[in-house]
Amino acid sequence: MSTYKLYYFNVRGRGEVARLIFAAADQKYEDIRYEREEWVSHKSEMPLGQMPVLEYNGVKLPQSAAINRFLANQFHLAGKDNFDQAKVDAVVDTINDMISKYRPIRMEQDEAKQKELTKTFLADELPKHLQNLEGLGKLYGSGGSFFVGNNLTWADLYFYDIAQHILELDENIFNNYPWLKENRQQVEKQPKIAEYLKNRPKTSH
Amino acid sequence: MPSYKLTYFNGRGRAEVSRLIFAVAGEKFEDVRYEMDQWPAHKAEMPLGQIPVLEVDGVKLPQSAAIARFLAKQFHLAGKDNFEQAKVDAVVDTIDDSFKGFVPTRFEKDEAKKEELTKKYFGEELPKHLQNLETLGKLYGNGGHFFVGNQLTWADLLFYTFAQAWIGVEADCLNNFSWLKKNRAEVEKQPKIAEYLKNRPQTQF
Repeated sequence: MSTYKLYYFNVRGRGEVARLIFAAADQKYEDIRYEREEWVSHKSEMPLGQMPVLEYNGVKLPQSAAINRFLANQFHLAGKDNFDQAKVDAVVDTINDMISKYRPIRMEQDEAKQKELTKTFLADELPKHLQNLEGLGKLYGSGGSFFVGNNLTWADLYFYDIAQHILELDENIFNNYPWLKENRQQVEKQPKIAEYLKNRPKTSH
Repeated sequence: MPSYKLTYFNGRGRAEVSRLIFAVAGEKFEDVRYEMDQWPAHKAEMPLGQIPVLEVDGVKLPQSAAIARFLAKQFHLAGKDNFEQAKVDAVVDTIDDSFKGFVPTRFEKDEAKKEELTKKYFGEELPKHLQNLETLGKLYGNGGHFFVGNQLTWADLLFYTFAQAWIGVEADCLNNFSWLKKNRAEVEKQPKIAEYLKNRPQTQF
């Protein structure tokens, strides 16, 4: 019996996709959540002094993308063969390109400046990333609502999670992107995901 | 036998790791290189309007990491099982973290600012990431010189090619990192890589 422990803060952040994968796979794991003050005493236990970290059969693995891909592969949520897995990776990388433009805005301390940056992001930057993602979904999705091959993969779970942050900036954003809207609805409808979303801790981010 | 076509600029950049993978594997591929003025005419042919793109039996795959991981898995350079592949991915993610801060230092137009950014990157930022990479190499390398499992993987090839870019700007940047220096020396010694390095086009980037 393999054992899985996930170490992260008590937020969704970079840990939530792993939790969604465990939920979709109906796989037990230890969901360790450190508050900020607790984390200080555990930092040196982690390979890179950062979280999330996955401990698999006692061996620690850092880096959220590596963790997510590993778990997806373990539980058959990564794509049915090497090339499908590559398509899933390409979608994930494209989502990452979108987030890399958004993160600096989240870190901006000056409220007025943040408002300005958000406005620019929504008008100039975000649309091309969402168009790219719809493009990939139509190219790889075999005519269905999931990103790759007409099956749920961790690319769908990742987009679902990130989109929640985007919706906080503009709750109507997906009205112009019907394919992406339908994709999220399909994810939410999966019984194990619906159950998980209903019961998970409510956190600030 | 699938047919492979790799399209990129006439440079190493984000495609070189894939060219190194083909070289190590002894696999044929079409190495399409666009000069800067040729590229605009082809931009619309690519799924995300970007390169590199790998075409496998006529289907296009964007995103350099997805491409490299796919090829590595095809040719057994990705890690011997799912967890080893995850360790390789964690090293790759850490190499990417190292490289992120380098790109702005290259594109900064103001000479004085460029010098300042470059100094800060090589003095403060890069050493931290190189330390992390040595930590992972010692944690996952089974006592050998490769990053994971005492065998060459694409993590070693990616580090090799990105480090070349750093060394091009700051020749001494690995002087305090003997493990990483040994790792690159091991990569260079591989017969197929030595051959490839001797014969590949010499380009600006």
